[in-house]
Amino acid sequence: MSTTQMLKGILDGCLLAIIKNKEVYGYELADKLESYGFHSFSEGTIYPLLLRMQKEELVTSTLKKSTAGPRRKYYSLTAKGEKELEMFIKRWGDLQTNVNNVVYHESGTNLRKGDETIEK
Amino acid sequence: MKNEIKLSEQSKTFIENLRVYLFSSGKNSDEIEEIIQELENHLHEAEKRGKPIEKIIGKSPKEYMETISNEMAIDYRNWFKYIFLIIIGSFSITIIRDVLEGELSYSILEIIGNLVITAIFFFSVLKGFKYISTMKQSNWKQIGILLPIVMLPGALFFGLIFLNRTVDTPIINFGNTASVIIGIITVLFIIGMSLWAKTWILIVVVAFISLPGYLLSQTSLPYETQLILESVIMFGGIGIYLLIVTLLEKKKA
Repeated sequence: MSTTQMLKGILDGCLLAIIKNKEVYGYELADKLESYGFHSFSEGTIYPLLLRMQKEELVTSTLKKSTAGPRRKYYSLTAKGEKELEMFIKRWGDLQTNVNNVVYHESGTNLRKGDETIEK
Repeated sequence: MKNEIKLSEQSKTFIENLRVYLFSSGKNSDEIEEIIQELENHLHEAEKRGKPIEKIIGKSPKEYMETISNEMAIDYRNWFKYIFLIIIGSFSITIIRDVLEGELSYSILEIIGNLVITAIFFFSVLKGFKYISTMKQSNWKQIGILLPIVMLPGALFFGLIFLNRTVDTPIINFGNTASVIIGIITVLFIIGMSLWAKTWILIVVVAFISLPGYLLSQTSLPYETQLILESVIMFGGIGIYLLIVTLLEKKKA
């Protein structure tokens, strides 16, 4: 499975977290994600997600003038969005623990088995 | 509003294609402009930092356009507006033309045929535009795709005229007074519709379709010459009008 596929759904939560922290516009948002290590995704993928999150009333947007160039669309979290973020953090925590458990124990046993064979 | 963003040719092409794609997918034009502006800004900032367009929209522009389109609601009101405008418009074109010639009388086949041809034309235009917006094609290929679509209704109307001569369906006759009243209502409708939709298109189309034939019939030219001239003026005039409107729109955008 590619990172892009795994990212689906998770990216939503990351966007919410960044937007909650500070009112941001699209490019800034993509830039932030990259600075956290998300390098492989196409930056444009955030826009369909933002469109959906707006439809679901998790975020709102306002157009603001920028010092240089055209108006920018800034996103901020709604109350519903904050709740969604809280739920995401909890869900992500659970998922992370579970996946780590599975990966650690399963591949852990495999490793030990491997060690045994080497010892033999 | 100052909105001069310098973009690479590749990005500009993508933005133009996206606009056409979303419009022919029936999305709301305000929402289209909003997302277009946002993406223009993004592409602009990315290009300043030397990022290639693939880093933004991925490897397949078509797929990216689809994902955006999927998140945007279809503007049914707008669609209804266009469909209504086109159907009524196509009827008013025929009606005005026939009123100038005398009393109105239509066969059931003509009425249904008109509706069907209009619908075919409408959807084939949308499909055509949507198709060319997702492909990398030369201008000639694009014209090659759009030309048959534009010619199609003409061919179908000719077919309908012949079919109407060979197949008998009930004919609805309107008397003199009724014809005049229908004519007046149609004219009012055309004016009202144009004011509502804020476009000259219907008036221009009706004028180019009904007036040349009427004016030419007052001349002593042979009937065949009249027919040829009529269609040349008709399609030429409407074509030029559409070209001017497109160019103006492009300048605005």
